[in-house]
Amino acid sequence: METKHNVSIEDRFGNRGTEVYKPVTEKEISDFLKKANEEGKSVSIEGGGTKRGYGGQGEAYDWTLSLADWKGVVEHQAGDMTVTVRAGTTIAELQTFLEDYDQKVSIDPCWPDDSTIGGVISANESGPKRMNYGSARDLVIGLRVVYPDGEVIRTGAKVVKNVAGYDMNKLFIGAMGTLGVISEITMKLRPKPKYESLVLLSVEEEEVDTLRSLAVSIQDAMIEPVCLELMNPQLSKYLTGREAYTLLVGFEDVEKAVKDQEGWMEYHKPASAQMDVKQEEDAREFWKAFSKRAPNALDQSDGETKVVLKTGSKPMEAFSIIKEAEKIQHEVSVQVESHGGLGHGISQLVVSGSEEGIVSFVDQLRKYAAKQKGYVILKHLPTELRKSIDPWGNYTSGLFLMEKIKKAVDPDHTLNHQRFIGGI
Amino acid sequence: MLKEMVEKKATSLPCDSTTMTNYFSEDHPDEEKWADCVHCGMCLEACPTYLITGQEQHSPRGRVHLIKSVAEGKLNLNEAFADPVFQCLDCRACTTACPADVDVGGLIEEARGQVRKAMPLTGWKGVVSSFFLKGLFPHQKRMGAVGGMLKFYQQSGVQKLMRGSRALQIMPSHLSGMEAIMPEVGSPVQQKYKDVDVIPAKGTPKARVAMLTGCIMDVMFSDINQSTINVLTYNDNEVTVPKNQTCCGALHVHAGDRDTGRKLAKQNIEAFENDEKVVVNAAGCGCALKEYPELFKDDPHWRKRAEAFSEKVQDISKYLYDTGYEKPKSSIDKKITYHDACHLAHGQGVRHEPRQMLKDIPGIDYTEMSRADTCCGSAGIYNLTHPEMAKAVLDEKMKHVPEDVEMISMGNPGCMLQMAMGVQKYGRRSDIVHTVQLLDWAYQKDQKSTVHQGKE
Amino acid sequence: MLKRKKNKREGMDPHIRSLMKIVGEKEILYKPEDLLSYDCDGFTVHKAMPKAVVFPENTEEVSAIVRYCHMNNLPFLARGAGTGLSGGAIPLNNEVIISMVKMKKMLHVDLENRQAVVQPGFVNLKLTHSISDKGYYYAPDPSSQYVCTIGGNVAENAGGAHCLKYGVTTNHILGLEVVLPDGEVIELGEAGVPDRPGYDLMGLLTGSEGTLGIVTTITVRILKSPQGKQTVLAYFDQVEDGSRAVSDIISAGIVPAALEMMDKTAIEGVEAGTYPVGHPPDIEALLLIEVDGILAGLEEQVEHILEVCRKRNVREVKVASSEEERGRWWANRKTGFGAMGAISPDYLVQDGVIPRSRLPEVLQNIYDISRTSGLRIANIFHAGDGNLHPLILFDSRVPGETEKALKAGTECLKACADVGGSITGEHGVGIEKKEEMRFIFTEEELEAQMRIREVFNPYDLLNKGKLFPTPSRCMDVKKIVKETVAVK
Repeated sequence: METKHNVSIEDRFGNRGTEVYKPVTEKEISDFLKKANEEGKSVSIEGGGTKRGYGGQGEAYDWTLSLADWKGVVEHQAGDMTVTVRAGTTIAELQTFLEDYDQKVSIDPCWPDDSTIGGVISANESGPKRMNYGSARDLVIGLRVVYPDGEVIRTGAKVVKNVAGYDMNKLFIGAMGTLGVISEITMKLRPKPKYESLVLLSVEEEEVDTLRSLAVSIQDAMIEPVCLELMNPQLSKYLTGREAYTLLVGFEDVEKAVKDQEGWMEYHKPASAQMDVKQEEDAREFWKAFSKRAPNALDQSDGETKVVLKTGSKPMEAFSIIKEAEKIQHEVSVQVESHGGLGHGISQLVVSGSEEGIVSFVDQLRKYAAKQKGYVILKHLPTELRKSIDPWGNYTSGLFLMEKIKKAVDPDHTLNHQRFIGGI
Repeated sequence: MLKEMVEKKATSLPCDSTTMTNYFSEDHPDEEKWADCVHCGMCLEACPTYLITGQEQHSPRGRVHLIKSVAEGKLNLNEAFADPVFQCLDCRACTTACPADVDVGGLIEEARGQVRKAMPLTGWKGVVSSFFLKGLFPHQKRMGAVGGMLKFYQQSGVQKLMRGSRALQIMPSHLSGMEAIMPEVGSPVQQKYKDVDVIPAKGTPKARVAMLTGCIMDVMFSDINQSTINVLTYNDNEVTVPKNQTCCGALHVHAGDRDTGRKLAKQNIEAFENDEKVVVNAAGCGCALKEYPELFKDDPHWRKRAEAFSEKVQDISKYLYDTGYEKPKSSIDKKITYHDACHLAHGQGVRHEPRQMLKDIPGIDYTEMSRADTCCGSAGIYNLTHPEMAKAVLDEKMKHVPEDVEMISMGNPGCMLQMAMGVQKYGRRSDIVHTVQLLDWAYQKDQKSTVHQGKE
Repeated sequence: MLKRKKNKREGMDPHIRSLMKIVGEKEILYKPEDLLSYDCDGFTVHKAMPKAVVFPENTEEVSAIVRYCHMNNLPFLARGAGTGLSGGAIPLNNEVIISMVKMKKMLHVDLENRQAVVQPGFVNLKLTHSISDKGYYYAPDPSSQYVCTIGGNVAENAGGAHCLKYGVTTNHILGLEVVLPDGEVIELGEAGVPDRPGYDLMGLLTGSEGTLGIVTTITVRILKSPQGKQTVLAYFDQVEDGSRAVSDIISAGIVPAALEMMDKTAIEGVEAGTYPVGHPPDIEALLLIEVDGILAGLEEQVEHILEVCRKRNVREVKVASSEEERGRWWANRKTGFGAMGAISPDYLVQDGVIPRSRLPEVLQNIYDISRTSGLRIANIFHAGDGNLHPLILFDSRVPGETEKALKAGTECLKACADVGGSITGEHGVGIEKKEEMRFIFTEEELEAQMRIREVFNPYDLLNKGKLFPTPSRCMDVKKIVKETVAVK
């Protein structure tokens, strides 16, 4: 196991120990955790290191467990449409491997080249296409998890349907590494679409409501978009060169069906909308650029402070959240690039500007989201700022149960202490 | 007190000491019938009483479980067993829902026979039951007299007076509800054709059929019997009305009085011995006739005769559909829906034929009712013995009856009375008709217009 | 009269009297004759009598009942339609059964956000029926969907024929209101908003077989009905050809909405049942394959499927020509289990899951088990998911045959576990497969799960004795060692 000592923790995102361990076997992970647990060391866990700015208000950690070198596909049976992969494998590596079999993991989070599958699952990251393909909780069918005491526990199985015992997979998805270290992941796969295209519809700010009506009628029609993502003018300007609200409607199917649906869009688009269609490679290129736009913790440059917000709402409320964010950004003088999934309710906003501006932006957006029964959390922000804004917000129902679960699984707070909601 | 008596009776059953079962040795529920039940529960949502109570002892699989438990000696033939067994509407919806074709209806009827043997009815229920079942239905003359009284009552204006006065409130509320929807009474076909051996076909006769007139049908709904004869003869069938026929016995069997049921069955089997086809326009009666063999499990001779008999029985709609009928040319411009009588849809599997008949009449704007094959709560004399449940079942039924239909068509007199009550209760404007009546009316219009044309 | 009634009440079990106060006199059953119908669910091998059955009508009543049981140390459990196939609702400990069937309202439908809010007693298929006029449906479709409740579906994480493409219940649950075993009410996934921060308790609750809490309100995802559906029926002369065709279809990049298989014995059963289709009696296997989606793309997929089947020596393959024909094929399939009653007095259904590429060998193993046990086994199952349903046919009146059937069932599960599969894909563990949990989990893994139960259900009053094997000696020894070490 490679070990780095005296790692600088003076960077902007924290969540790191003074020593970094990079195991290359599961046994090493297990031994490491056992030792940490026995010696009362606090451990932070990372994969590609993109999410170090995500959560955590406590002091520095003693040790960091990096899974960056624990990678590779363990098992893949094309006919079973499942894959078992080690946690440190990046999304891009995994997709490239599956490409040869005309298969894919249908998850499209940010930074596929750097994000590891373990990190994506632990942080429950997703992208626009979750509308059709679901998120980590829909894809993960089995895990190997190293518990804080070093015990390796398997959850689920390598079969696509399984109700034996509790669905323990769910416990570790999105748990921010506070309960165990995910070592291996088994996921359902899908065939690579035979054809894909992306319809972009742009309208001027005053016409934005026509996109909402369109989104409603798309969902009420019998067409099957894989995403229905609304970009604000700033993000659209960066990605398409057009500073206008832009609705991204993706289609993945056999070519005939995709073309048929493009036809539907052409016929039903608002009169004032500009419609572009990107096909195949062009669509893939667009998504690549899309996935790299938000900042992550690998970017240590000193420029302007940028934070990343994730909001959750009822699906169509994502529209009003994107609109409200536009309003607030002008009031508090920050810049926002945002996109919201009108079919799934998750929005992501990159906010840049002064720290006070950001704090007040978050505060106002949280109030607005709460009114819609939604929430706002911060996925990426500097350590300093985490002291003035709780990344997780204040209330969640059933918190006392979560605390008890943490206590039952990790009584000594060995793993990612205080990284998660309510200081778990 | 009553309960204690019952329990005592139940524990001193004849076979109790010798075998495990708590049933009498004769005519007990058939083990083969419940052996098919795997307790899967697919019957639950089909059962009207389960839907209302939510309690499993009032569900088909619950009842089968109880019936089995008595045989296993876990339960006695007592009030607690009798209640769920008699709450059953005997609507047979469970038989349709059951993937393994368990004959729940048959089991229920057998169990009822056992219960009535162990604990004969007492109190007002006993009086009502024996008045209707033993004193009235099997006797044509008495039924005729009742019919006559009803006719007098309706025509004399006393009815109006009664309905207007508080006198009705003396009757139990569910009976006064019944009174309000009593049909207009015509003259029974039994009497009308008593001197006619064969009612001739309109054209060259293609077949001869015998008609079961039914006890209630012929008194309260004699016009439907007339319509049945009309459509049969219109389609070139000769019709006979055998004299010795009697009540089908369905209500008796439903009530657990299987001995009377058997007596009536024998009489009917004999009465129709020489006929090749027995056509019935009341679903409940038709179903009972078809099930006569069930009554003679322990009597091979009569079982054989009953089997031969039941083969000959057919519902009027099925008979017409199978043998072909002339499609009327005159139109009846009405918005109509159809209610599946339980003993037609579930009991005899007749669903498509009457609907097709309606659709074949020009002008009819047909609307399918949701859950059309859910019981209306009539279920023979169930609405007399279990008024509360019958009312709840009817309320549920009425939720599914489209509000804007002008007519509700069906193939069973009991349903017609019950549905009429529903229509009245909910202030609907739909007329209740028998499917065969509509066909008859359309034919009559046809005839009139041919007469007209002939004149011109 | 009044006095007599009072006397009657006085003789009554005080707990019954207290529960009666909560739900009302009519909403409780406590006489043995009335309770008899509740001594088992769809799993009939074990039977036990409940203490009472109560019928709450709202969350407050459920909470009050649970709190009462909690305070008075009374075991309790929740029951829906009682169609479960693993005995999850059997009152092993003389439980108070909380029947959820009176909580059967649909509370809210929000088409724009594609969600519906229902009470737990709401029947699965009714949901689809009540939104189908607007072109929407609820995807999970267990074969018992005509009667089973959505609350029960949540408890068991029910699957169905169409979960190959659309996922199981857990993939369609957006929010839950839950009464915890001490009576406290919590809300998870409020307003159906996804990814709420915190552990995914909703995911954990779903499929916990009623051992962690009682669900009282459910927010589900509803879907727009697909534009088109095509259903294919393929008859094979060899089981192996049929099962290889399953993998071939999936490997060809087709995601069928459903891919079902029946073997010869199963076909005999369904043809003797209420909904025969007229399958040829001499074929060894049939596949029922459905694709759905954009009409323009379906033909190509169907062609592809036909081609795969032909390559696998299909005897006859046809596409449903009408909705009516499609309906008949599905009714025949969906009532398959119950139909076995028509060819066998009893059956035991197993529910193992395997990686679908192992289908041919595992089916062979099952036929071997049938041969050695001397019992017929019918296979009627979700081949696309690798979810087997061996139906072991037996006659409980023949002495020793029940035991033989149970043993054969266990062997089938072992065969599934041995190829890296699971012992249950959708029916749950319940009482039935408790011990078989050891086929797939180590002591430590079981203990990790039991720790979660302790968090929710520390006094083990809620649905006790289900889901986990009785602690083995090895485990006990470990605990003792731990404790001794701690003392030292």
